[in-house]
Amino acid sequence: MFSSPNNKVKYILVLIVIFLISFQSAWAAGPPAPSLFSNPLALILIILMILLLIIIAILAGILVGAADVKLKKRKKGNSSVVTSGLMILFLLSGSSLLAQDVAADTTTTTVAKTIGGMPASTFYIMATVIFLELGLIIALLINIRFLLKNEKEKLVVADEPETIEAKKNKLSWWDRMNKLRPVSQEAELDLGHEYDGIRELNNKLPPWWLYGFYLTIIFAVVYLWRFHVSHTGPSSQQEYEISIAKAELKTQEYLKAKGDAVDENTVTLLKGTEDLAAGKIIYMKSCASCHTETGAGNVGPNLTDNYWIHGNDVKSIFKTIRYGINAMPQWQNTYSNKQLAQVTSYIKTLVGTNPPNGKAAQGTEMKDEVPAAKPAADSATVKEIK
Amino acid sequence: MQETNQPMQVEKFYYDNKIVKAFGYATIVFGLVGMLAGLWAAIQIFYPESSLNFPATTFGRLRPLHTNAIIFAFVGNASFAGIYYSLQRLCKARMFSDKLSWIHFWGWQLIIVAAAITLPLGLTTGAEYAELIWPIDIAITLVWVIFGINMFGTIIKRREKHLYVAIWFYIATWVTVALLHIVRSIELPYSATGSYSWFAGVQDALVQWWYGHNAVAFFLTTPVLGLMYYFLPKAANRPVYSYRLSIIHFWALIFIYIWAGPHHLLYTALPDWAQSLGVVFSIMLIAPSWGGMLNGLFTLRGAWDKVREDPVLKFMVVAITCYGMATLEGPLLSLKSVNAISHFSDWTIAHVHIGGLGWNGFLAFSILYYMIPKMWGTSLYSKKLAANHFWLGTIGIILYAVPLYWAGFEQSLNWKAFTPEGQLKFDFMETVNNIKGMYVSRSIGGALYLVGAILMTYNLYKTIAKGKFIANEAAEAAPIVKEVSKKKEYWHRVIERKPVMLLVLSLIVVALGGLIEIIPTFLVKSNVPTIASVKPYTPLELQGRDIYVREGCYTCHSQMIRPFRDEVARYGEYSKAGEFVYDHPHQWGSKRTGPDLAREGGKFSDSWHYNHMYDPRSMSPGSLMPQYVWLLDDKIDTSSTPAKIRAMMTLGVPYPKGYDKLANIDLMQQATKIAANLKADKIETAPDKEIIALIAYLQRLGTDIKTVSKQPITETKK
Repeated sequence: MFSSPNNKVKYILVLIVIFLISFQSAWAAGPPAPSLFSNPLALILIILMILLLIIIAILAGILVGAADVKLKKRKKGNSSVVTSGLMILFLLSGSSLLAQDVAADTTTTTVAKTIGGMPASTFYIMATVIFLELGLIIALLINIRFLLKNEKEKLVVADEPETIEAKKNKLSWWDRMNKLRPVSQEAELDLGHEYDGIRELNNKLPPWWLYGFYLTIIFAVVYLWRFHVSHTGPSSQQEYEISIAKAELKTQEYLKAKGDAVDENTVTLLKGTEDLAAGKIIYMKSCASCHTETGAGNVGPNLTDNYWIHGNDVKSIFKTIRYGINAMPQWQNTYSNKQLAQVTSYIKTLVGTNPPNGKAAQGTEMKDEVPAAKPAADSATVKEIK
Repeated sequence: MQETNQPMQVEKFYYDNKIVKAFGYATIVFGLVGMLAGLWAAIQIFYPESSLNFPATTFGRLRPLHTNAIIFAFVGNASFAGIYYSLQRLCKARMFSDKLSWIHFWGWQLIIVAAAITLPLGLTTGAEYAELIWPIDIAITLVWVIFGINMFGTIIKRREKHLYVAIWFYIATWVTVALLHIVRSIELPYSATGSYSWFAGVQDALVQWWYGHNAVAFFLTTPVLGLMYYFLPKAANRPVYSYRLSIIHFWALIFIYIWAGPHHLLYTALPDWAQSLGVVFSIMLIAPSWGGMLNGLFTLRGAWDKVREDPVLKFMVVAITCYGMATLEGPLLSLKSVNAISHFSDWTIAHVHIGGLGWNGFLAFSILYYMIPKMWGTSLYSKKLAANHFWLGTIGIILYAVPLYWAGFEQSLNWKAFTPEGQLKFDFMETVNNIKGMYVSRSIGGALYLVGAILMTYNLYKTIAKGKFIANEAAEAAPIVKEVSKKKEYWHRVIERKPVMLLVLSLIVVALGGLIEIIPTFLVKSNVPTIASVKPYTPLELQGRDIYVREGCYTCHSQMIRPFRDEVARYGEYSKAGEFVYDHPHQWGSKRTGPDLAREGGKFSDSWHYNHMYDPRSMSPGSLMPQYVWLLDDKIDTSSTPAKIRAMMTLGVPYPKGYDKLANIDLMQQATKIAANLKADKIETAPDKEIIALIAYLQRLGTDIKTVSKQPITETKK
């Protein structure tokens, strides 16, 4: 793509400088922007921009190659035109990145106009860049088509044997992209090395490979700069704190809208059959392995007697289940408070059922705050048996 | 070489094919064994009863056997076979010493047999891919040195002026594996078979994945690339595409690879700066890796018609393609946002099997199909059988990998799912139930692949039967003439004439990355902030920990809670570097077939653990965990306690002076207390059983900072 090595070095240096400048100025604006790169839409757009850029670079390479073939001589001007064109393009994308970072700063203060969670202005800038890139790709494709068409016409008018020869030497887009030379010209490329019959050719590096390599190096520099010099990217811990805060806000909003914010201070015994049935399902799934299906207790204590270790009122049981205590696991991350209230209520129905193989009493004897006449008598006999 | 054209004395000599034959046979035998072990382990994941309730065949011990057999026995022997075959021909010389060749061969096979005995016995260091115990580590070092002497001896007495690119890769392999193996094996023995890693916690993890990642790089990649550079052009009869690409991708690959280890530790307690180095070097690794793939595939230009016919090339092309896919996927998995999903899930397993089954396996098959007919002076018995092998293998890889990619992705998203009320949407068991079917499909894929390998064995057996073995293959070449060519040449040609210089340069290039990452992690205190409440393990917990290591619990359970909302909700406060300072070795793990255990302490009662070890499904219906019935009967080996305490004290664990003599008293006290707890829950057991020690360890896990969890954890940075 770029004929002289000097050109190449210059080009890379310019690129690096542009990137660094754009990020440095973002950094100067303040320590912000964990938001932009964690926004999936923004990330997709950025990746899209980079991918298109790579395509443009490849197409430009092909175009130069095709032009070279057509002119049958190498004009230095050609490649330098493309070089400067690409530089402008990178410049554009570089400054748009800068714009994104500045825009991202503002998100921390104003949550006003957003598209897909990113500032509207940023979105429009990115979209513009992508459209520009798409336009450039179309322009390049038209040019390449035009050049190749010319080539084809020329081949058609040429003499028969020459056509075959030309066809053999004709380079497909694939060959151009990889800078492959026709197999028939291989002798020119032979280096004269020979090891146990293995020869080596002196093919050039595939340009997309080489520039891809440079691109990853630039990525590395930018990445390290962003996360460890400018600190515009969040650390693992910051990322965690941001995600927790976001989730908390969302949950609060949801619960407020639903009017379903029960906790251990407001929970009451549920008596509806639906609630108790739901509670039973949860009990069988998560409690039965330790307390047994009947509540008789095994690894965990007996739930059917009147002896309780951490209190027997609805609020206490709810709290024990929600936060866990000693060997009792916490369930707050598994079940919603409503579900916890359901299972608590179901457990209260087990008291006094007197199942076989009940585990010995643990804790202190407690009666219900509002003792129902009949179960109270039953549980007294249960106690006697033990 | 063509540079000297005047006629000279041609020497006659013989290539040693016998040693190649031996390594080739070993490749086939251990390949089948290793694949079978893998298949068995895979079946245990969805059908835990197939562990047979027998310690030696339970997943935690079988999995290290599978990985070690495949890496060191199958791919190792295949590489040696290919190296012994190609090195002689590329150097135009017989191996330096037949005696050393055979010491290398038998030494390596003995190491494999020793591994096959010790791993099922539960003798392990608990470090992935470096599980072998310290006496075997020493043996590996010695055999590796023998191999090095033999290789360099051959290179020195070569009749070829320049070293071909394959040999550069062999040299880099040798020097880097030596470095990796020695550093990872720095350990303190406390008995004839037991030892503790010299490093602890974060530092141990960094050394582990510097090693683990580069075992992939320098045991499974660079030697195999070297083989590709010899066997591909030979089989296709085409010149290597680009000499320049060889040079650039070789040096870039070995330089960059070594840095990328920390990508196995993203979002862990490893300092962020080291994680970032892992990320960026992984990304920069894409092009150097693909350089190898391009040089391979472009070499086939003009020979693609042969690929359809020739089994050697067919396998080679799929191998190289898999290499390309795995080396693009690897860097993408190293991006933190992708890694947050893929890590600890089956995605990683799918990824490594694209490399293992596709790249390593198919390349090994390819060179066997090439060398064996050549060395027996005949042609392959059946091209049709080879084609069947090819298709079975390819379909096997797809059936293996695709379901596991799906399983990994699905399970990871399930882990992360929350209800709108803010609760975890799935408990761990549900996320497992959702993917059990994928585990079955994966085993079918693996089984097909194994059947393919059996077809190959039969095909090669018939080939050998119809040929006649050429033990010493005659060749002739002129010796190197010591003259300085006046011609202007490419700068790299100088290095290619100087093997020792190549060796030293490789060593410098590979040492750099490791040094820059490892030394600051050890020396700069702020990298591992200490936490005052973290105390050494009690003697009983230490014994329990050794049981945890012995049973290979780390093969399915991690001990590393990453700073994610879902992990903190599911497992508790995320893990801090300072919590692991007494963990010799660390047990962070790399896979969560079962839940994380970093804060297991106090989550369940002692009796829950007792019942769960006896029959996991009684406490956790649907669980895939094997039963550990023997822990209920076997007694704790208390005679080892003093030596273990002394070893820990040498490693800097602050037990009081003379504690080794008192340790067993404390041990029994704690054990009696746990036995009493169990008795309260109607479980009668003697306090000296192994289960008691394991319960003590599990109940300790993560509790050091749990006790103060209401206050923010104070980390002291010095």
